[in-house]
Amino acid sequence: MIKKTVTIKNSSGLHARPSAALVKLAGGFKSDFYIHLYGYRVNGKSILGVMTLAAEQGAELLFEVSGEDEEVAMTSILDLVENKFGMSDE
Amino acid sequence: MQKVVDEQIIDGQASSAGIAIGSVWVVDSAKQAVSAKKIRPIQVRTHLKRFVKAKELFLEEIEALSVNLDSATKEIFEAQKHIVADVDIETKVNHLIEKEHFSIDYAVYDTFEQFIEKLKESGSELFQQRIIDLENLRDRLIELSSDNGKQSKIPKGSILVVKEISPTDLVAYYEQGIVALVMDKGGITSHAAIIAQSLNIPCIVSAKTAVSISKTAEKIIVDANEGTVVINPTSATQSIYKAKLKEFNRLQKQSLKVKERSVTTDGFSFHLRANVEFTQELDLVKKSGAEGIGLLRTEALLYSGFEKRGFEEQVNFYQQILEQSTGSCTIRLFDVGGDKLKMKSGDEDNPFLGWRGVRMLLDEREMLETQLMAILAVSGKQLGRIQILVPMVSDIYEIREVKAIIALVQNRLDQQGISYDHYIRLGIMVEVPSVALLASHFAKEIDFFSIGTNDLTQYTLAVDRGNERISSLYQHNHPAVWQLIYQTVYAAKKNNIHIAVCGELAGDPVGAATLIGMGVTDLSMSPHSIPKIKHLLSINSQQIFKELAQKVLNSSTATEVSSIFKALFSI
Repeated sequence: MIKKTVTIKNSSGLHARPSAALVKLAGGFKSDFYIHLYGYRVNGKSILGVMTLAAEQGAELLFEVSGEDEEVAMTSILDLVENKFGMSDE
Repeated sequence: MQKVVDEQIIDGQASSAGIAIGSVWVVDSAKQAVSAKKIRPIQVRTHLKRFVKAKELFLEEIEALSVNLDSATKEIFEAQKHIVADVDIETKVNHLIEKEHFSIDYAVYDTFEQFIEKLKESGSELFQQRIIDLENLRDRLIELSSDNGKQSKIPKGSILVVKEISPTDLVAYYEQGIVALVMDKGGITSHAAIIAQSLNIPCIVSAKTAVSISKTAEKIIVDANEGTVVINPTSATQSIYKAKLKEFNRLQKQSLKVKERSVTTDGFSFHLRANVEFTQELDLVKKSGAEGIGLLRTEALLYSGFEKRGFEEQVNFYQQILEQSTGSCTIRLFDVGGDKLKMKSGDEDNPFLGWRGVRMLLDEREMLETQLMAILAVSGKQLGRIQILVPMVSDIYEIREVKAIIALVQNRLDQQGISYDHYIRLGIMVEVPSVALLASHFAKEIDFFSIGTNDLTQYTLAVDRGNERISSLYQHNHPAVWQLIYQTVYAAKKNNIHIAVCGELAGDPVGAATLIGMGVTDLSMSPHSIPKIKHLLSINSQQIFKELAQKVLNSSTATEVSSIFKALFSI
């Protein structure tokens, strides 16, 4: 299992479209993916789970990935967050 | 005795232009509470299957609807697909059916409710808006999982009256032939409004009481050029609107066919520009034939629940607007306060006389500097196109302070090696009488005036336009307002600075004609109004507009102004 802390950079936070991008990416890996915030733990492969975190800009999330492809999964997910989920206009 | 039903008028917000006359079709989606029904173990399999089937049906519906849609609508549907296919939803619904033996409809209801509750708790406005989407999705899934999941057929040409509506339902009704939409709730940025725009059907939102007042099959008129709904119109009203509809269709055809030149019959040229707030409006702006954006409102950047939109986000927004439009673009700095930023300003006794516009910007320096940085940075890539407009100025020191801050920001950009338009023009809104009265002094400080007639009217006449009891006193054609406008125009000409008008007055035939008569060449209005105003101005001479302006300045009431106009133009 790998754990990493990340900060949300998108100014509108983790709303519907970034959440969709994250879930879509995570769903492609075999590893389980959970996100922790303020004591909540949600399934990172569930768009509703991710959305209900209502993570705003600057929120610090703890990512937890475990499974056979955990290394590559974590790297890809971190890349996505770093690139603001590919959102240019938000 | 025959029962006479009175004509009723509802005011809402127009979000997609046009006029439609038809019969009401009310969809009152008063949420039926779903009760916690238990099923017998033997029914578990059937209920699980019905859930799978409902999801399939929903995805099919979306696929079928998505064929001819634009990207904004597709994106909304795409997110819905993700939600329906969500793993958490599936696990929870299955658990409730298999382990707890709840019926499918309750299982779906309860599962969605858990997520909706969490979103409600989050308190973030942006996420709150998604709640409506989730509720609609939930209700549709429940409908589809029950045996009577089909929507009832509605007659072609109906006008849909709803409290609110999901994107999928709206497109489905559109395919059945509805010709307009009236929605009690929602703003012009709600999903349904955006979709109505891309479907090109007239749409009115925030109609508040439409659902409770109207009944299916009653006559209804939707005037989405004015934002008015008329229920049970009298035959007189009907013929007025039939004429308006005919005229609207004619003008639409005309504006698409012949590009009238923006010049009066005696060779006086003018420029009609558009008031814009969202990128979604830019298509309409193009179609309207506008020569640029005379007023770009930026407040929407602040409404997403995040008070300080970052530098990059703003740069992207302005860049998008400029790339998808042509000509000049006047960007108004955040014009918030009073009614709009309640939380921050606290309760003010007189918000309209309070902490708003430039008064707030000068206190919220970081916000002002970020916005100026973003505008200037974009101006470097769009040389000569951008102008900056400062709202709610009432005192000369305010504009001097803004100028000092602009110099500071430019300095910072120089240090960072970011290029900007060194000749960017700076102007102020003329909306407080003190500015109009001292216009010649203000003119020496800036490059242009833009008269905001809505606020100028309310401050001059001391009439709150939101107050229904005195709304008849709110007359933007009042001679007192015209005197102030004239003084401002005079001062601008004398000091050789540019002058534009961007309030509703510019989109009103009487207003536009009088302004041209006073020599104002630059009018900015809602894009819906442009074809009609262009037509009026280009088939008459400036000479007759001058005559009108002269008479208006000699009149003493707004009624007099209207009759002078009618007499001159036999309208």
